[in-house]
Amino acid sequence: MEVLLGITGKDFVILAASKAAMRGPTILKAEDDKTKQLNEHTLMAFSGEAGDTVQFAEYIQANVQLYTMRNDTELSPNAVANFVRGELARSLRSRNPYTVNLLLGGMDKISQKPHLYWIDYLASLAPVPYAAHGYAQYYCLSTLDKHHHPDITLEQGMKLLEMCTDELKRRLPIDYKGVLVKVVTKDGVREEPFDNNRIVKSA
Amino acid sequence: MMDQLVRQYSRSPHQNEFYSEQEQHDLTEGLPPLSLKFSLPPVANHSAFLRAMTDDHSNPNCPIKLAHGTTTLAFRFQGGIIVCTDSRATAGSWIASQTVKKVIPVSRLSRGEDKPGSEPVPGLLGTMAGGAADCQYWLRYLSQQCTLHEIRHKRRITVAAASKILANLTYAYKGYGLSMGTMLAGVTPQEGPALYYIDSDGTRLPGNMFCVGSGQTFAYGVLDANYRYDLTEEEALELGRRSILAAMHRDAYSGGFINLYHVKEEGWVHHGFNDMNPIFWKTKLEKGEFSNVTSEL
Amino acid sequence: MSGYDRALSVFSPDGHVFQVEYAMEAVKRGTCAVGVKGRDIVVLGCEKRSALKLQDTRITPSKIAVLDNHAILAFAGLNADARILIDKARLEAQSHRLTVEDPVTIEYITKYVASVQQRYTQSGGVRPFGISTLVVGFDPNDKTPRLYQTEPSGIYSAWKANAIGRSSKTVREFLERNHQDEMDREQTIQLTIKSLLEVVQTGAKNIEVAIMSPGKTIEMLPDDQIESYVKNIETEKQEEAAKKKTRTGTTTAAILTRSGGESSETTRE
Repeated sequence: MEVLLGITGKDFVILAASKAAMRGPTILKAEDDKTKQLNEHTLMAFSGEAGDTVQFAEYIQANVQLYTMRNDTELSPNAVANFVRGELARSLRSRNPYTVNLLLGGMDKISQKPHLYWIDYLASLAPVPYAAHGYAQYYCLSTLDKHHHPDITLEQGMKLLEMCTDELKRRLPIDYKGVLVKVVTKDGVREEPFDNNRIVKSA
Repeated sequence: MMDQLVRQYSRSPHQNEFYSEQEQHDLTEGLPPLSLKFSLPPVANHSAFLRAMTDDHSNPNCPIKLAHGTTTLAFRFQGGIIVCTDSRATAGSWIASQTVKKVIPVSRLSRGEDKPGSEPVPGLLGTMAGGAADCQYWLRYLSQQCTLHEIRHKRRITVAAASKILANLTYAYKGYGLSMGTMLAGVTPQEGPALYYIDSDGTRLPGNMFCVGSGQTFAYGVLDANYRYDLTEEEALELGRRSILAAMHRDAYSGGFINLYHVKEEGWVHHGFNDMNPIFWKTKLEKGEFSNVTSEL
Repeated sequence: MSGYDRALSVFSPDGHVFQVEYAMEAVKRGTCAVGVKGRDIVVLGCEKRSALKLQDTRITPSKIAVLDNHAILAFAGLNADARILIDKARLEAQSHRLTVEDPVTIEYITKYVASVQQRYTQSGGVRPFGISTLVVGFDPNDKTPRLYQTEPSGIYSAWKANAIGRSSKTVREFLERNHQDEMDREQTIQLTIKSLLEVVQTGAKNIEVAIMSPGKTIEMLPDDQIESYVKNIETEKQEEAAKKKTRTGTTTAAILTRSGGESSETTRE
């Protein structure tokens, strides 16, 4: 029941991840950060099996940073995405595969274009303009299908994200404790303020 | 078998002249490999076997009944961290002990055991929920690692690092049937008061407040409602005690004594290992709480 | 030498391990590297080998390497050996983050580098690293500058300022005379470059300088800035020389080398 959302626009990628860390019937933490910055211009959001998620994300993060340090260049979002996919595919055929779903967002330093990749635990990789994982897919993709446009500004993107979270508040039967929103632009990754306390009325 | 012996002793004398990468690594690496070598039963699926042998829920006649069932809690507040637990160990419906010490001091060079005294003892505290043996064993292992860290690096280990050692360990053994839900609490100069939750799934979460064990929901009920960050030390200790009492009262698998600790900058202070019963009756009779329990005949 | 220098892990009768000493010889032939600590800064300076006409200097690897965001290393000795050692250190730095979350301390990574070097003096079939290194940086959440040196033997040591490589003795002596505690950024950079100029004849274009400050990543001093430092130092030197000339010209041997009043002091000839 974790929520991951990703939206690209003209010159940015938004990634949003639910803040609840659940274990059994309990929300253990309401301010969890399910994202990891891999290098200056790539950000990864993750959900899935407890333990696997963070272990996998940190493993990827360490390797991408090592690459940056060894070669004195940043991997492009596309390169990172394919590296991540490869690692997942390798683990899938091992004794205990990582059960992790990912969204990977980044700005390509050279083309200055935003990129978003949808990756699931079976190591499928798809470049997409907007994406979601888990139950959020069922609610948000239709909204995004209707309202998304590749040329939107960050402001419009945030509005679109709000439409998605509003719908989740209305229809998702659990409280995911709001979303943590991060934005990747040409200047790097930053956290974006987001009002999770707005009350949404159902029709 | 014979072949193996022959092979073992018939290597050329210079065969070991080169260290393998692994050996070289072991020679210089600070920490020993995290996956220690254990003998495993000769079955295909270890966790399924372990479950069949130990899960008293699905099979009440299982040959090994593990000690389970607990309430433990820890929370951060203005004056440090409060750690509080019950003391009951159960194996199935059988109460195996009422005097278990579920708070385990970790990381100390001169580790004084639970001596009575009001002097703060420097170091971290770990709590125990889930399999008693797993928790005791791995927290002791963690203790070793923390002490080694202290000697090698000439400074006390951070709670972040200690919790990560434990989490990496539980993650390495994921699927082998470990059962633990642990909190690590400590105050270090680098990070201030820090609290982490680690469990046998490999989860590791930093946080302000955690309740772990079969009685966690009851403890959360009291703790969440009355928690503030700016609690005074007295209030915080009382809230910890009262939250555990709530769980001991409602959860059949929790009970015995209330074990209360306060972790502050100079170290941890023990605030007693007290029988829950007098505390329960005092709470009921003096404050009028627990009104569903009648004291009249 | 009766074969003791052949098998590496064997002592000579008088307790030498020759291969290690040869490695130190390789270090002495390497270009010079200097490290200087200031109050809240630590600076690395390196002599660059002068480039050939057709060499692309922009992409020729530098003698200063980033180990992690907060830790950098300069070496003197065999370039190719350094590459291997640096790579091992980088891997360890990331691996340390992965296992204990915190980044490495400068002492830790120095100790790691030194222990790798040590291992190659005691294993069969390998040869020691022909490099000495200076490891500098700031520990995470800490404002104390750190400067360490490692040697082919695996020794590591902490310094206020030090030099390795060609003519390191001259530079070290210069540093000993001129280093002060609590230097600010300007003074520290200046001393670094000044000390390097003691042995680098070709001046600014053969010097590279890296600066570390608390909580920041590596900062390479731009070439034009190095040049202006060098210019300042040179004019300063000329002025001083001119002053000296006039002084020795006008005054008559009035410079006392030792105060004569102290009787307890025994003079030695």
